[in-house]
Parts: sequence; structure tokens; C-alpha cells
Amino acid sequence: MSRDVAVIGAGMIDFGELFDQSLDDMAEGAYLAALDDVDDGIEPDDIDAGWFGTIDIAGNASSGLGASHPTGLFGIPMARVENACATGSTAFRSAVESVRSGSADVALVLGAEKMRDSAAGLIEGAALDQVWRGRGVTMPAFFGLRATRHMHDYGTTREQIAKVSVKNHENGSKYPHAHYRFTCTVDEVENSPTVTYPLNLYDCCPVTDGAAATIVASEDVVDSYTSDPVWVRGSGLSSDSLLRAGNEALVGFPASAQAAEQAYEQADIGPDAIDVAEVHDCFTITELVTYEDLGFCAKGEGGELIDEGVVELDGEKPVNPSGGLLAKGHPIGATGVAQVNEIYEQLRGEAGDVQVGDDPTWGLQHNIGIGRNATGSVSCVNVLSTER
Amino acid sequence: MHEPPHWRDRAQNERLVARECGECGYVSFPERREICKRCGARPEWAEVQLAERGTVQSYVVQNRLPDAFETPLPLAVVDVPQVGGGEPARVYGLFTETDPEDVSVGMEVEADLREIFDVSGLPVHSFKFKRPRGDRL
Repeated sequence: MSRDVAVIGAGMIDFGELFDQSLDDMAEGAYLAALDDVDDGIEPDDIDAGWFGTIDIAGNASSGLGASHPTGLFGIPMARVENACATGSTAFRSAVESVRSGSADVALVLGAEKMRDSAAGLIEGAALDQVWRGRGVTMPAFFGLRATRHMHDYGTTREQIAKVSVKNHENGSKYPHAHYRFTCTVDEVENSPTVTYPLNLYDCCPVTDGAAATIVASEDVVDSYTSDPVWVRGSGLSSDSLLRAGNEALVGFPASAQAAEQAYEQADIGPDAIDVAEVHDCFTITELVTYEDLGFCAKGEGGELIDEGVVELDGEKPVNPSGGLLAKGHPIGATGVAQVNEIYEQLRGEAGDVQVGDDPTWGLQHNIGIGRNATGSVSCVNVLSTER
Repeated sequence: MHEPPHWRDRAQNERLVARECGECGYVSFPERREICKRCGARPEWAEVQLAERGTVQSYVVQNRLPDAFETPLPLAVVDVPQVGGGEPARVYGLFTETDPEDVSVGMEVEADLREIFDVSGLPVHSFKFKRPRGDRL
């Protein structure tokens, strides 16, 4: 038994430094927004199962109970999903799989992360032992290593990398849920303080609180909720490690290419079919190499793709119309869920000031998580379409 | 005296001991698993000694780290050859005694055994990389 699965509702709260909201407050807000978003209405009792995406930075949501409490959904299967920075999209994938398999007709995905409840900061507050176990490799170092080698191998310029930040901040300035709404120039990116050479402050996503929720339903029940569903046509998930891959892992993420291949194969399309994408730009260089890993251009040509304007809001393949993680923020468990919601809005023509043109039919969502002492990545790719 | 996680990893951390897959030649360091990560076989593993030098494959310079680190701190992916030939091991390496401006892709580096941190006063030793003495400007 394998059934078609559609997104029928999506909700998120405005991302930001939300000192006045607890993890439960944020999760509740996103859940209620998703319920209210369902065109023809939905009752909480209709939800058969829930997946809660969080890496539990706040330290009080280590199980599915973290989603039961803010939603009032008890007495049904609820589980927490964690997959580093790919947590949100992995939770979405889990919900889709449960509906596809027939174990649920309607499933909830709830992603939330309280990033700003600690005064110490993520890097400076990290346990020394853990930092050393990863040989001192912090997140900007892990991604910055790809930038250095990409510039060395392909002649990618600092300016091309900075343009990712300029583009995403321009988009984020128009997106109501974004944490940062300012715009910036290439000069400002290149002259912002160095975090980890070659990456500067404006190459890095901010530390942001947030929550997002998505409701998916099977082909058997979708008509009772909406006449305008967005179908989940492909879902890929893969892992790879610097310790086993070749030099391709120094200039990109093999797990992303593997996850994309799985998703494209299920959807029976290639990368050229994608009209709009929300991809993992935790750092500028991450987005640039992801163009290549997803097949939007050949390996080494990410810099040219951004120079040519292809990925701009009005380009032929807009990437991160929401402003991406760089402007919108990266509340880890919520990030992938919010990206799915943004693609859902784009494909329904509801994306407001960041709506891309030409009635997009196919959208792609992509997350990368790093882990295991910073040796590798897990990547998740979901492909959505207005076509069933 | 060592805390258990560091006691378990002493051979890799302190003596640069790695293992080579008898099927595909992959060098596993610091992990010591039965199944080869690269070819998927369950091979005979040969214990091999890594050289105390290597070649920088990529690098960054970290400026924001916990207080216990001196910054700016270069960090690299380094290919470390085996003593006596075969494939190199690919490792993360922190630098010491090296001007961040001097680090580049392709540069040769030396490995030095250092105390890298302590856990509750118990020292943990491992290798750090530096520009070879003869090459200093």
C-alpha cells in the first residue's frame, strides 16, 4: 500500500529573538496557525499522529510529549525526531512516510527551537570536551573549509560568495516572518567582522527562536480539507562523511547530491524542472555549493550561477525567496518545516511580496545537518508539486 | 590517568596509529571499526603508522572560540601519509606556532604532540600541526 500525500496546511510564527515566548508558546502558535490555514477547516481530533522536530537546545522537550503539551494532542502516536540541522525536514519526511504507508490519514509536523534562552551562546557555551572531540571544528569552520577549497579549485571569488548574502537579505527584507529585515551590499559583507576566515559575520545565519507546523493528508481524505493541495512528490535523505568520501566532500556535500537523486527519482523529474527552491544557507558558501549538489549547475559553477542572476527572486530559478536561513533565521528544529511551508505558499501563489513569477509548479526544500564530531553531513531533500 | 573516552583513544591521539583496509586500501583514522566505511567490506585490517607530517587540503582561521583557545586559530583538513607508503589518512588538524597568514592549500606541515586540553585536570594529548621549521620566514 502506497498512497499519495499532500500538504493541506502550513503555519509559522514570526522568527526572531523571542525572549517573551517559551518553547511551548512558540510551538502552540505555529500549530494554531497551521490549523487555521487549512482551507476548509480541520478538527484537532482528525490528526492521527505527530512528529516533533527539535534538537532540544532548551532542554525540556526530549520526547513527543514536547509536542503533546502545547497542542493538547494526547492518546495518539507522537515522537520526537532529531537529525542535526536537518531535523525539521526529517520530521516532515517521517510524517509523509507514515501517511504514505497507510498508518495515518492526517499527520502533524511540528518543528520548534529555543535558541536564545542561554546567555553563553552556542559556540562559546559549547562543552570544551566536545569542541576538542571534533578537533576544534566549529560550524563556521566546517562550512568555511569548503569555501577555501572551492575558491582554490574553481576560482570562485569572495564577491560571488558575498552575493548570496546580499540576495537573501534583499529577499528577507520583503518576507514578514524573517528575523532580519535589513538589506546589505557586497562591500558590507566583505567588510563585516571575520568569524572564521574566509567567512564574515554577514556570511553566517543569526541565532534565532522560532516554530513552524505543517499538516499532511492522504489522497483518501485530502478533498475534505482543500481543493488546492500541494503534493509531496519526492523525499530523499542521505548521510556521508569526510572520512569516506573523496575530494568532492571538500567542495560540497555528497549527502545532498544523494538525497536529491532519491527525491528526483521518486518525482520522475530532473533539477531543470524545479521552479523555486528553499535551500540550507546556514552560511553563504553552503548555498553556493548546494546549487551544484542539487544539479542546478555543474560542479564548480555556483559562482557563475549567482553572477548570472538565475537564483534571484526574479530569476529563472529563484532560491530562498524567504531570505533563507541568513535573513529569516535558523531555529534548528523549525527550519526545515518552515522551508516546506514556504514552498507550499509559493506553489499556491500565496507568498505575497516574495511570490516568484510564472505560476511555479515544482518546488524543492533542502536541509543539511552536520554531526558526528563534525565529520560529515546528513541531507534531506523534499520535492513538492501542484501536480499529483 | 585519563577519563575513559580519552583513555580509549590514546593510541590514535598520542601515536598516530591507523588501520588500513585489506580490500580497498582505505586508511581509517581515528576510528577502528570492523566494516570499511569506503568499500563496505569486512576486511583484514593492518595496523599502520602515520608519518608526523602532512599536506593541507583546505583550511580556515577561527576567530570565535571558547576562552580556552588562543585565536586566531588556523584549522585544516590534512592528508597524513603512512610511513612506508599507501594511501594517506585524512584528518582534522589544529595549528600551533604558525602565522595564520602563512597557511595555504597544498602546504606541507609537521605534526607535534601537545597537551591539547584537560578534563577536570586530567591532560589529553594529541597532535597539532605547524609549518616546518626550515620553511619559516
